[in-house]
Amino acid sequence: MLSGLKHSLIEAFQAVTPITAVVIILQVSLVSLPTVTFLRFLIGAFLVMLGLLFFLHGVKIGLLPMGELIGEELPKRGSLWFILLIAFVLGFVVTVAEPDVRVLAHQVDVVSEGNIGRGLLILTVALGVGVFVCMAMLRIVLGTPIAYLFAVGYLLVLLLSAFTHPNFVPIAFDAGGVTTGPVTVPFILALGIGTTSVLGGKSPASDGFGLVGLASIGPVLGVMLLGMIYR
Amino acid sequence: MNELLKFLEIGEILTEVAVALGPLLLFFGLFQVFFLRLPAAYIVNLVKGVCMAFVGLVLFLQGVKVGFLPAGTEMGVLLGASENKWILVPIGFAFGFVATIAEPAVRILGFEVEKATSGFIRARVILITLASGVAVFVAMGMFRTVYGVPIHYFVIPGYLIILGMLRFTNPTFVSIAFDAGGVATGPMTVTFVMALSVGVATILGNRSPILDGFGLIALVAMAPILSLMSLGLLYSWRKRKRA
Repeated sequence: MLSGLKHSLIEAFQAVTPITAVVIILQVSLVSLPTVTFLRFLIGAFLVMLGLLFFLHGVKIGLLPMGELIGEELPKRGSLWFILLIAFVLGFVVTVAEPDVRVLAHQVDVVSEGNIGRGLLILTVALGVGVFVCMAMLRIVLGTPIAYLFAVGYLLVLLLSAFTHPNFVPIAFDAGGVTTGPVTVPFILALGIGTTSVLGGKSPASDGFGLVGLASIGPVLGVMLLGMIYR
Repeated sequence: MNELLKFLEIGEILTEVAVALGPLLLFFGLFQVFFLRLPAAYIVNLVKGVCMAFVGLVLFLQGVKVGFLPAGTEMGVLLGASENKWILVPIGFAFGFVATIAEPAVRILGFEVEKATSGFIRARVILITLASGVAVFVAMGMFRTVYGVPIHYFVIPGYLIILGMLRFTNPTFVSIAFDAGGVATGPMTVTFVMALSVGVATILGNRSPILDGFGLIALVAMAPILSLMSLGLLYSWRKRKRA
């Protein structure tokens, strides 16, 4: 436990030093920020480092084992429907809870001049994530090559981008990033690794990843579909 | 002095993190009651970890919001007003790199990859490849903001190249690459790099800061996919050479 904490401390220090150094170098050479802003940056850097230390350690001993435990439990129930249902619900709920989704909903509300309300957008994006996490689990069980799913997903994205309202295209592409916050990512990563570690003939290294990536296609497609309706 | 006390206004972030963490805890709670039934001591340890992660994320996000966001915007404005606009391109590169290095979920991805591949793919390699990819694409994003190139010119060819590379890349790297795409768009990169870009767009005028800011995240999401799939090609090429 203590050595793990020490490891996280080194990691947090290594993570925050470069960005702090770049800002300090710019401050003394090219730009001079007002003293208050610069001071706030330095205090912020300290908080960020302290925060990373706790976060990294906490995730490793808390969130990751939780995700893995649920992942390992899923196949033991012996029902594909159970796995798919849990995957869908998890994807949906986690997205509704993601703070960035509300920011996105607000932006879409503005761009669509109020025609696409916040509730509708959050529902669409959450359904998108739910469906794609579900498909990701299905592909793990069936052994479908993941490249097919990505190819079909992104071809659809490119196709829809030609038909949707132009203002929705950049928002849709950005929407992919909003469902993958720092709480969701460790949990979903661990879920995939847990599930593949107990399924016969699968290994976490070759089959466990990809859930986060697939989950980010859902919202892109969802927002583009809304843009087509708006058009 | 009042400016510095803003760090104490922590309520908003506190609620955000609690709301994001809540459903996962509820979910795990239901699993524990109905299926897992783990011993209490084990659960206590997990809960300790979650509490640490909670406190850590609140501190991290507060530091980014109160400390980094205003600095980023202000720097964007100052740099956008300077005579040599091209300087934004290398600065974008530098910030893309160091912001990714400081991204929490990127660290976790690296950790999981190293663990799952039993050390075959090192966390450090993932981190550096990812950060380099984001650096190149943020530099491109700055170029686009300064010279007003539409986002489609980058995103559409980018995804076509990705589709082409899918055929040749080892499936493990494909999965990790797409996961990394979602992971790179974390709070540090999005807030700090976006603030910089919005600051620049504001001072350059005649362009909408909102629409210009959009699309940068799309570029950041695409970067790790390309760079990690390239890493995958490199790994399989080296393996073939050795065989």
